[in-house]
Amino acid sequence: MRSLLTLQLRVIGALVLRETRATFGTSQLGYLWAIVTPALGVAVFVLVFGAAGRRPPFGSSLALFFATGLLTLEFYKKLSTSLMTTFNANKALLTYPCIKETDTLFSRSLLISATYLVIMLVFYGTLVLFQKASPPHHPDQLIVAFFMICLLGTGVGIVNAVMLSIWESWSYVESILTRPLIIISGVFYIPSSLPPAALNVLQWNPVLHLIEWFRTGYYSNYNSTVLNKEYLFLFALLILLIGLIGERLTRKRRAGQ
Amino acid sequence: MIELINVSKVYSLKGIRKVIFENLNFRFEQGRNIAIMGPNGAGKSTLLRLIAGTEQADRGRISRNVCVSWPLGFAGGFNGSMTGLENVRFVSRIYGQDTEWVIDYVEEFSELGKSMRLPIKTYSSGMKARLAFGLSMAIDFDCYLIDEITAVGDANFRRKSKQALEQKLDHSRIIMVSHSQETIKSYCDCGLLLTHEGLTYHDDVESLLRAYNESCA
Repeated sequence: MRSLLTLQLRVIGALVLRETRATFGTSQLGYLWAIVTPALGVAVFVLVFGAAGRRPPFGSSLALFFATGLLTLEFYKKLSTSLMTTFNANKALLTYPCIKETDTLFSRSLLISATYLVIMLVFYGTLVLFQKASPPHHPDQLIVAFFMICLLGTGVGIVNAVMLSIWESWSYVESILTRPLIIISGVFYIPSSLPPAALNVLQWNPVLHLIEWFRTGYYSNYNSTVLNKEYLFLFALLILLIGLIGERLTRKRRAGQ
Repeated sequence: MIELINVSKVYSLKGIRKVIFENLNFRFEQGRNIAIMGPNGAGKSTLLRLIAGTEQADRGRISRNVCVSWPLGFAGGFNGSMTGLENVRFVSRIYGQDTEWVIDYVEEFSELGKSMRLPIKTYSSGMKARLAFGLSMAIDFDCYLIDEITAVGDANFRRKSKQALEQKLDHSRIIMVSHSQETIKSYCDCGLLLTHEGLTYHDDVESLLRAYNESCA
């Protein structure tokens, strides 16, 4: 049992290192861009909305409000879309008996999560350093929220990977289906202030809960009336379970391809 | 010790069903070097992949209590955009080996020189095979699964590979797929003949080769 665990850790460790090299290339510039790009994305929104004279919907920092929405959404989307192509990208690895397809999924998820941890630390750290925002008020909640993003993103990513291996058009369908996420997840507004009719529908969207949870952790008094932690947690677990069952059921089919 | 218990394997693609094995039972005895021979398409490579565990049986069970290599013989496990060095490092990591030692060994053995620092996609097939063979020799397995690779490279490299493999035979066993009677004779002491009718075991190589020649005739 113990040796199985060390084997698993060894394989995942080696895969993460390999994946790092494949994702960022050999230059340090690759790492730099990976960290700077999402931050610049937020900066562009802040500049545009700032120029339009928009006040932050909550708190005093437009940058902080948008970042808590945008970075969370991007982290989730990165997981759910990058995991989708894992099976095709790692086919050659299955030559080695000790590597299973689930290892390639988990190691990719680990690498993306580690990258976003750095991105967030750098981004929020910079905001705090230049006194554009106060430090997070409930770091414990922030950490749990971070893990929830990992869990949901990984679960949806695995489901996507399985779907893509069954039906190759899935990547297009998925990109169309998830396009409204930026509008319906509360990135640019406070969901609690929406009319009840809209909320009744939007509160089924798990990504909205991710962002609400993250903001609850960051701000001292965000007081979300929408956030339902149990719903999000159960949803994420269920999706992960569906993904893993799907992977198991379609494994033989992929081997024959 | 490797044992196949009621193993069945069927490939079906585009509505065509092809039964490769049905309720196959076999015990690979410890201490024997086993040849697998048979006509093309009989399932020799599939059997090797089942033993390695890179492919799953549809039914039945394969039990192994020894450390088995991956099926050696093709460079399928290499990532083309990564350098030879990076690929070697990766494989030695997943097998928990001393990475630096493995790199030194493979550099010495494969004679690739500076090419080790170039992406695999720039390699010729001979270079890839040399890298793959050197890498597999750097790791100690109890049982090496070999799929037609001993005829790689020039005479010098072939001599070297033969030497390395013979050295391994002091404490490891091999299961080898080959069409070459020469190769089989020099490495194996018993064998399996795999035909479309099924599988037969031969306790000595002469009887295996005779049966193989009859089945091809």
